[in-house]
Amino acid sequence: MPMHHFETARETYRKIASNIALIMRGQDVATRQLLAAMAAGGHVLLEDFPGTGKTTLAKALAKSIDAQFKRLQFTPDLLPSDILGVSIFSQRDQQFHFHEGPVFTNILLADEINRASPRTQSALLEAMGEAQVSVEGERRNLPALFFVIATQNPVEFRGTYPLPEAQMDRFAMQFTLGYVSPAEEVAILTAQEHNHPIDELNPAVSLADVVALKHAVENVRISAELKRYAVDLVAATRTAAGVQLGASPRASIALMKIAQAEALFDNLEFVTPEHIQKLAVAVIAHRLVLDPQSRFSGITARGVVEDVLKKLPVPA
Amino acid sequence: MKIPPFLLLATLAFWGWQSGLLWIGVALGVVIESPRFIKARFDLADEDFRRIWNLCVVLTLAVAAIVFTTNDEGGGGLISNPTVNNASNATVHTATTLLRWLPMTLFLFVAAQKFSERGGIPLSAISLTFRRRRHKTGDAAPEREVDISYPYFMACLFAAGFHPNQGAPTYFWGQCILLAWAIWPARSRRSGIFIWLAALTLAVAIGYGGTRSIGLLAQVSQGFDARLLSWMLQPKTDSKQSMTSMGRIGRLKLSPRIVIRLEPINGSPAPAYLREATYHSYHSPSQTWQSGAAGNEFVDVPAEAGGLNWNLLPSVTNHSVARIACYLNGWSADLKVPEGLLPLPTGSSRLENVPLNIVAIKMNHTGAVMASGPGLVIFNARFGGDATFDSPPDASTNLWDLSVPTNEAAALDKVILEMKISGTNEEQKFQAVQNFFADKFTYSTWQGSDKLATINATPLARFLLSSRSGHCEYFATATVLLLRELGIPARYAVGYSVHEASGQGYVVRGRDAHAWCLAWNSRKKIWEDFDTTPSSWIATEEQRASMWQWVSDGWSWLRFQFAKFRWGQTHLRQYVLWGMVPVLTALLFQIIFRRRKRKTAAGNKNSVEKFFWPGLDSEFYRLEKMLAARGVPRQPSEPLADWLEHALAEPALAQLRAPLQELLRLHYRHRFDPNGLDEAGRKLLAQKVRECLESLTRLGS
Repeated sequence: MPMHHFETARETYRKIASNIALIMRGQDVATRQLLAAMAAGGHVLLEDFPGTGKTTLAKALAKSIDAQFKRLQFTPDLLPSDILGVSIFSQRDQQFHFHEGPVFTNILLADEINRASPRTQSALLEAMGEAQVSVEGERRNLPALFFVIATQNPVEFRGTYPLPEAQMDRFAMQFTLGYVSPAEEVAILTAQEHNHPIDELNPAVSLADVVALKHAVENVRISAELKRYAVDLVAATRTAAGVQLGASPRASIALMKIAQAEALFDNLEFVTPEHIQKLAVAVIAHRLVLDPQSRFSGITARGVVEDVLKKLPVPA
Repeated sequence: MKIPPFLLLATLAFWGWQSGLLWIGVALGVVIESPRFIKARFDLADEDFRRIWNLCVVLTLAVAAIVFTTNDEGGGGLISNPTVNNASNATVHTATTLLRWLPMTLFLFVAAQKFSERGGIPLSAISLTFRRRRHKTGDAAPEREVDISYPYFMACLFAAGFHPNQGAPTYFWGQCILLAWAIWPARSRRSGIFIWLAALTLAVAIGYGGTRSIGLLAQVSQGFDARLLSWMLQPKTDSKQSMTSMGRIGRLKLSPRIVIRLEPINGSPAPAYLREATYHSYHSPSQTWQSGAAGNEFVDVPAEAGGLNWNLLPSVTNHSVARIACYLNGWSADLKVPEGLLPLPTGSSRLENVPLNIVAIKMNHTGAVMASGPGLVIFNARFGGDATFDSPPDASTNLWDLSVPTNEAAALDKVILEMKISGTNEEQKFQAVQNFFADKFTYSTWQGSDKLATINATPLARFLLSSRSGHCEYFATATVLLLRELGIPARYAVGYSVHEASGQGYVVRGRDAHAWCLAWNSRKKIWEDFDTTPSSWIATEEQRASMWQWVSDGWSWLRFQFAKFRWGQTHLRQYVLWGMVPVLTALLFQIIFRRRKRKTAAGNKNSVEKFFWPGLDSEFYRLEKMLAARGVPRQPSEPLADWLEHALAEPALAQLRAPLQELLRLHYRHRFDPNGLDEAGRKLLAQKVRECLESLTRLGS
């Protein structure tokens, strides 16, 4: 791939990132991770306490791109057809017409995804895994850019259903936003003194730019040694102490792809060990199922991945 | 449940006191309890526990090997067990010693638990089953841990029971106190302390009664089993009397079991008889031969060379030697060891290479030699025809060696008349008696009831006058009494006949037991064997051998080998020790070095793969090494960029930051870009590294 394609792609990233930065203060790392996941073709699960800006971040991203955006609020009584769409009989032409659900879009914000029942949560499986939807025996493809940003409240909160492992595995990354520093929080208050700045946000890039970014990411090079390192990292979680179910090969694929995106954002045409290390926790941790016993003894999935990172020698 | 403080110290001290190792016990206890005061702990992994456990097992094995192979006679300091007689069974000794040493062999393991950061020991460290199961399921969850303090407490208490002064009341009371201490924390809080105390007292009382009665029982049964066995299984010769089977109806049945093995040494002739005892007087009503009061006093045989050789006849030097292996089937009540009469060739003068664990060898005047010690004795007997160690014919008023029971005299006189002895010459008399039995008598182990019913006489008279058929006891008794009636001193001898060759030597079976006559040769002044039993008796006995005899022979051989091993008559124990040494060494080596080996193996695997990774020739590594030498080594899991940040934190290196980061980019491109560096880039990398190295060296100086 010619160098100027990388340049254009990087420019696209920079435009989106600075556009989001207008709204999301102090969340550069999260923004970058979100964009990396999107550029790598993955989906993101944001888990955090209510009010930390998950939805705002998703909306800011949607608004920064001149693309279709739909938002779906998950509730316990939400049905799969509410997401995928449904055929309705038309009196006019005596035929069934398929009415596309909110899943047929470019950017889908699945807000509070763990408030819906597992049945409804699983309706997203095919869409997220294969970018297609099978409804009433008919397969319908989703657009070239299909990016799901799901938010969830911590599992221990009231009225939540934990996501099934298979659904968790469909998310390329899970990360948190966290509370910003007091100074930045003051800045947020100041910005919203009169009205919400998000209302004035304009798209910075076109849909085509983002698709080009995705293609550019696919062309970032990664050496066999680093592929092996990623695989070793993921494999190590399967034998780590306290883990009932380790990460799948889907995790190593996601790790590689998002590392490629990160490398592109870093002005590199190839992936370095640092990219993989930096992403490992966000990509791997949410896929691990811990033993109940070790969970109660204070072992966290994040801790397991960090341990593995510390134990495995990194290529240098 | 946590073990009460200082209970282990007390228990170990108690163990030490009971087994005479008080200071060792106290020292171990102090070490075990010291973590209460010392804050330092070791971070021990499952693997470490496993290794320590293996080490403990190897230690135990080593102790077993040492105890088993150390000669228990010398009193090997700590190892020797005073309660076990020096001639006793090494296996039992080994087991007791192992149990007594349990607190020491397990000590490392318990100390490891006490000093580790974790409170317990992973089960898989001890149990192979657990380890396998974990390995199979690939279970990575943290393991169940067990606190081994209580098991160790029990082991110590148990070990304290195997102390030298067994049966002393101190053990019982000490054990009661320690057990009460141990269960104190687990008492029920619902009921008061008095109920607890009452229950405890009751339990102690029951326990005390139990131990007392068991002690009494043990006293009664001590050695009983061995005696019982020897009575039940083995015909054994009594030096005082020999009850014959004469007059009994039916078939005499004798065992085909091999009881003696004999091997002539250095081409010596094999002795025809192995004698166990001789007897003076015949008690006719009970058909029993007795050795008489005078001949029954056993006196010690003088020993030489620290018990290796024993002199029966110091004045005689014989050249024929036979190696004899026999079992001692009796039980000495005084010495608490097996004892028995040794089967010796006629004219034995000296016993050589006698096992050192023989406690005593005694002999009486009628030629019986009694040995006490191990259940199996293997020795060399020197023998010849010159002299015997039997006393000369009895010269007392009783004239034991010439006396004939009055109720047998009539029959004997009748027979003497029938023999028609021509001269008074001793030789002629012997010849006449020999011919008389050879011509007119047959051998038979069968005595029919018809013969008994028709003639109202003693069994001997019936044998001499009517049936003229019988087994060796008839012949020997008749011969002895006939010779005496003819004025020749004679004695009744019992033992074995040696005739069945096997390999290089001979085997003697139970059915080869024989009785014959010992006649006084007044010219040579010695006792000579005089056997009138028809030689067909051997063939007759052999005919009755079972076709399955080879099975019983094989069994006898096994029994013999086991007895040799059990009674320390082989060098097997030495072989075991020397065999154990390399095995234990290998085990120890493996335990200590195995992980390292595995590690290096893994390392090799990685390096083999690394060999194919591109860019490992980068000059950047030299730079890394140099920077690391300045005090900031890179952790294996730390990426170069992160590490470089640390390494450059030193203010003196600030000026190198930009060129180094530039270099790292080049290096990364060389290493991780599948396209790699072009030739110019490669040169640039080498050159820049050189420059950086130079400036670093300058800074360093």
